[in-house]
Amino acid sequence: MSQKSTPTRAEARARFRRTLIQVLLVQLVAIAALAALQLRYGL
Amino acid sequence: MHWINWTIVAVYILYVVVDGIRRSKDTDSLAGFFVANKSLSWWVVGLSVMATQLSAITMIGTPGQGATDGIRFIQFYFGLPIAMVILGVTLVPFLHGSGVYTAYEFLERRFDARTRSLTAFLFLLSRGMSAGTIIAAPGVVLSAIFGIPLVWAVALIGVPTVLYTMIGGVQAVAWADVKQMFLIVFALLAIVVVLVLQMPVSPDDALRIAGATGRLQAFDFSFDLNETYTFWGGIIGGTFLMLSYFGTDQSQVQRYLTARSVDDARSSLLMSAYWKIPLQLLVLLVGVGIFVYYQFVRPPLLYNPAHESAVVDTRGDAYASLQQRYEDVFTLRSDAALAVADAADEAIGSVAMEVFLEREAEIQGIRGEALAMAEEVTGESSRDVNYIVPRFALSELPIGLAGLFIAGVLAAAMSSISSELNSLATTSIIDFYRRWVKPEATDAHYLLVSKGATAFWGVFACVVATFAATLGSLIEVVNRFGSFFYGSILGVFILAMIPRTTGRGSFFGLIAGMSLVGFVNFRMPEVAFLWHNVIGAVAVVVVGLVLSATDRGGAPEEREAA
Repeated sequence: MSQKSTPTRAEARARFRRTLIQVLLVQLVAIAALAALQLRYGL
Repeated sequence: MHWINWTIVAVYILYVVVDGIRRSKDTDSLAGFFVANKSLSWWVVGLSVMATQLSAITMIGTPGQGATDGIRFIQFYFGLPIAMVILGVTLVPFLHGSGVYTAYEFLERRFDARTRSLTAFLFLLSRGMSAGTIIAAPGVVLSAIFGIPLVWAVALIGVPTVLYTMIGGVQAVAWADVKQMFLIVFALLAIVVVLVLQMPVSPDDALRIAGATGRLQAFDFSFDLNETYTFWGGIIGGTFLMLSYFGTDQSQVQRYLTARSVDDARSSLLMSAYWKIPLQLLVLLVGVGIFVYYQFVRPPLLYNPAHESAVVDTRGDAYASLQQRYEDVFTLRSDAALAVADAADEAIGSVAMEVFLEREAEIQGIRGEALAMAEEVTGESSRDVNYIVPRFALSELPIGLAGLFIAGVLAAAMSSISSELNSLATTSIIDFYRRWVKPEATDAHYLLVSKGATAFWGVFACVVATFAATLGSLIEVVNRFGSFFYGSILGVFILAMIPRTTGRGSFFGLIAGMSLVGFVNFRMPEVAFLWHNVIGAVAVVVVGLVLSATDRGGAPEEREAA
């Protein structure tokens, strides 16, 4: 039976980078949507 | 309210309590009662985290803020996703992996008992009072809307919550949060659908009218420390606040300590990282939508019915003439809003917009006079903004949906209060009772006193809520005091993750951080409170590092051991 190995420091760092980029991208999309709303309808 | 609406509310309350009792079968040990034997999936924990953060104030106050002030409050949450990612790789693995029941317990393992006890005490002080406030806020609104005594409204929220939290422990709290979260989102979406269907203008025109009054201005890029809602305040101050709230506040830490693995705990926080801003935007846009809807359907001059009748009783004539002026200008503003929507080209549109903005300013002036009159008569600050959404729901939503909205408000209140009661009981028992009073006892004994502590904090919160009006200034002082140490406690946890920092450094760093924030608060009151978190955390880390360095120089561990 295979045993789940503990992620190495490099793997953990890569995963953190991936998650951070994903979250920041989603946030960027949200901010872009808000900016579009403000530009289209704001004064 | 129609009997069908009341039935929906009653069924909801009954269901939450019965379901909570049903969940009590796996809580016959301390680990079961406090951390659900670390058995919950990421999505259950994630929804519980979101439901805990979303209180009734978010359901009634935030859309009201959207209606009066627009969506700029959204900037407050810009730091949240960043904070969640940072916590996922720093504190979460530390706390989840160390097998603790409370975040403060971890501080004793890393530093010493006094740092643990001080942070736990600060948590009990601030959260004990805030539990009262979060029952009081919807309690006061429901009491005014339905004309029932405040104590009944408080009991309606408090009693079922205490029951299921006391009997079912964290498991009941988490599963109730899941259902409450669905109910809350459903109620909000129902309002959006009703608004879209009943609005006499198209969504595009509605947004144009909202935009004309500045309600769609989401960003303020000025770097102004005195403004609470700015882009930079949200990104920098908000990140520190959210790090502190999700990383060191037991009411949130306990949610992800129930996760079945570190990965599940991380994923549960990432759910908020992805969904909190869209959800908060939905809440604010509901308010903006109600504002536009009320351009065409005349709302009451004062939304708070208790204040309205107090003014009618004592200043009948003056209020009637104000009301007449309001009705006249309302008709003119309504026509102007329709002209904006129907404008054939840009030139006509800009003229119509000018007329509309003039009328809107007149309406705001009349409303300001009415609010001043209400404050004078009642001697209370009006907080009229909190009544906009409940009154809209009761008068404009179809039968059934109005009941669902009220159930949603109760759900939002209960989901936050249950987590707070649960975490207050955990900290009281684990960090004080078991640590200092009775270190050796059976699980059955601790379980019994934990249920007693839950009941105690529940009764305490209800009493504080019932006397909220008389305790108003005291609660405000405690809440302000609470913001003194939020960032500072984060500083202690940052120190805990830095190798070779010492107990003395963290304890005196914490005191230095709180003192500095207290100084800034009193001497520089213009600095917005979001920045207090940054100031507190940085001060604790700097002082802690310096003291730890001097400790290492003089080998304090050896001195202390001697």
